[in-house]
Amino acid sequence: MPELDDRLTRCFASVFPAVPPDQIHAASVESVPAWDSLAAVTLIAVLEQEFDTQIDLMELPELTSYQSVRDYLQRQTK
Amino acid sequence: MATKLNLIEALEISRKPVAQDAKLLRVFLGCGFTPLHLQNFLSAHLRQLFPENRIKINTGLFGDLAGSLERLDAQGLDGLVVALEWPDLDSRLGIRELGGWQVSDVHEVASSVDLQLSRLQRALKTAARSAPVVLSLPTIPLPPLFYTPPNTNSAEKTKLFLSLAKFAADLSEEPSMRILDSQALDSVSPAAARFDIKSEILSGFPYKLPHASALAQSMASLLQARSPQKGLITDLDDTLWSGILGEVGVDGVNWSLEHHSHIHGLYQQFLSSLASAGVLVGVASKNDAALVQQAFDRKDLLLKKDKVFPFEVHWHRKSDSVQRILKSWNIGPEAVVFIDDSPMEAAEVKAAFPTMECLVFKKDDYQAVWDLLANLRASFGKTAISQEDAIRLESLRSAAPLLDALGQDGNASDEFLKRADAFVSFDFTKRPKDGRAFELVNKTNQFNLNGKRFSESEWNKFLADPASFLVTVTYQDKYGPLGKVAVVLGKVNEKKVHVVAWVMSCRAFSRRIEHHSLKRIFEKFDANEAVFDFQPTERNGPTQDFFLELAGEPPRPGLKISRVAFLEKAPPLFHRVEGS
Repeated sequence: MPELDDRLTRCFASVFPAVPPDQIHAASVESVPAWDSLAAVTLIAVLEQEFDTQIDLMELPELTSYQSVRDYLQRQTK
Repeated sequence: MATKLNLIEALEISRKPVAQDAKLLRVFLGCGFTPLHLQNFLSAHLRQLFPENRIKINTGLFGDLAGSLERLDAQGLDGLVVALEWPDLDSRLGIRELGGWQVSDVHEVASSVDLQLSRLQRALKTAARSAPVVLSLPTIPLPPLFYTPPNTNSAEKTKLFLSLAKFAADLSEEPSMRILDSQALDSVSPAAARFDIKSEILSGFPYKLPHASALAQSMASLLQARSPQKGLITDLDDTLWSGILGEVGVDGVNWSLEHHSHIHGLYQQFLSSLASAGVLVGVASKNDAALVQQAFDRKDLLLKKDKVFPFEVHWHRKSDSVQRILKSWNIGPEAVVFIDDSPMEAAEVKAAFPTMECLVFKKDDYQAVWDLLANLRASFGKTAISQEDAIRLESLRSAAPLLDALGQDGNASDEFLKRADAFVSFDFTKRPKDGRAFELVNKTNQFNLNGKRFSESEWNKFLADPASFLVTVTYQDKYGPLGKVAVVLGKVNEKKVHVVAWVMSCRAFSRRIEHHSLKRIFEKFDANEAVFDFQPTERNGPTQDFFLELAGEPPRPGLKISRVAFLEKAPPLFHRVEGS
């Protein structure tokens, strides 16, 4: 799903501008020092607006990496 | 004009690189909630409005807006942006603290709100002495704590709004205070689509994203404080009134409900309102001049003859008329709006003056005319009416004899100036709150030493320097007063004057006021040399001519003129002098 990746990459790049483009797909709470609680709230808001969705509160603790966010959005669109 | 952004766009705009040496724009965002996305949107909208600047936004403590403002040192800030919400006035008017919606609380809230508003008012007034302050009053709905149904305006709720209105009315008297109009915000952010309860509970941020963007955009534009347009040129037939004067006669043109031409009456009333606020209103009409004069003698015309100057009524091209009007006003086309019911005439003027805003008066489209009036108010709106606004038209009208007396070189003869019975006053008092001096420096183009503009904080900082001086020059002659027409800003070091900014209103040209200003500065500071921060600009030709005349060569940055050389070259000065 290249379109999903393009949009998701743009979201991550806007919230974490210090992460090099080629490392965004590997981004996670552990690898990105700027991924604090404030950045997490901003990321969720960006995702909700970009994908016109409401992210389930119960899922928030699981959304700790690019890949987990991608999987979540993929499930939502199925 | 900036548009509403989504969050991802806002983040991208905020993070666009800026030049290393870009000027820093320091803004404090005051809010009692987590600033979060409002800060991101504000940053982005400021970047769009100030593309040459680096934006730095600081914020205060969560849940303590009044305390944050009280602790704030606004010196050095370029602006303070405050988003006030109900919980800032009393936590029971929010939802994050529990246990306070009893009937007894409702009665008590009003007095507690008054106390908090007094605190905020003091803090905001203190800050406004140092930097411009933009304030939005509560934008999200009150919670359901009142015992009356939501559609019923209880006494307690009414008192709450009354307190808020008094607070805003008092603050709006402050020259540096800009309060966001709630109706203007309503038009870009519907009231029912603002509050995000999930976000408020989970992260302490109360706004839905579109509202955060709209609010940030509105407040950023208030911080920008653009200079208003100066003049409006209007057509007459089927614009100022309904009907063709040459066909239906003086009594046949109309602007009334019974003739279904009331929209023209509204337009007349609006132009009269603009004129009363110091906007120049001129007429460019292809018409019979005698008939137009008779029409303007009609008692029921809402735009009176004495509010219009000049009248260009003949059968020549509209662009020729506009050219002559601009000359009479001595302002550039970019500061003027032209209005005509004919798209062809509007296009002809636009072709001749590409920087002029040329608009079509669509007489059969009421909504379009209504929107036109709103847009014109946006172009001409000003935060306060000055003394100069009141006398601008009269001083231009009275300048006509002087313009007639000008020779080929644009200079009036000694004899004419001698008879003008002019006096000029020089005020050396440093008044940071002198809005006219600040306005002149920031909007004058032609006689302007270097085109430098000042932010309010830069202005205050400069004047706070003990070595700095500010001269404000006021002029009057037998033709009438011109008011404050020139400002010189500089520093003195022993016997040397360093002029940092020097502007003079174009209404004051050809009267040798600039020569007298420099003479007075040499005298006042007993200086033997003046150094000028001169920079050529696209539009400061008159300044360059002035220095060419004095120095005998085109001026360069760092230009120096000795007192002796100045006195040798200066023409005779006939003004009487007042002031320190």
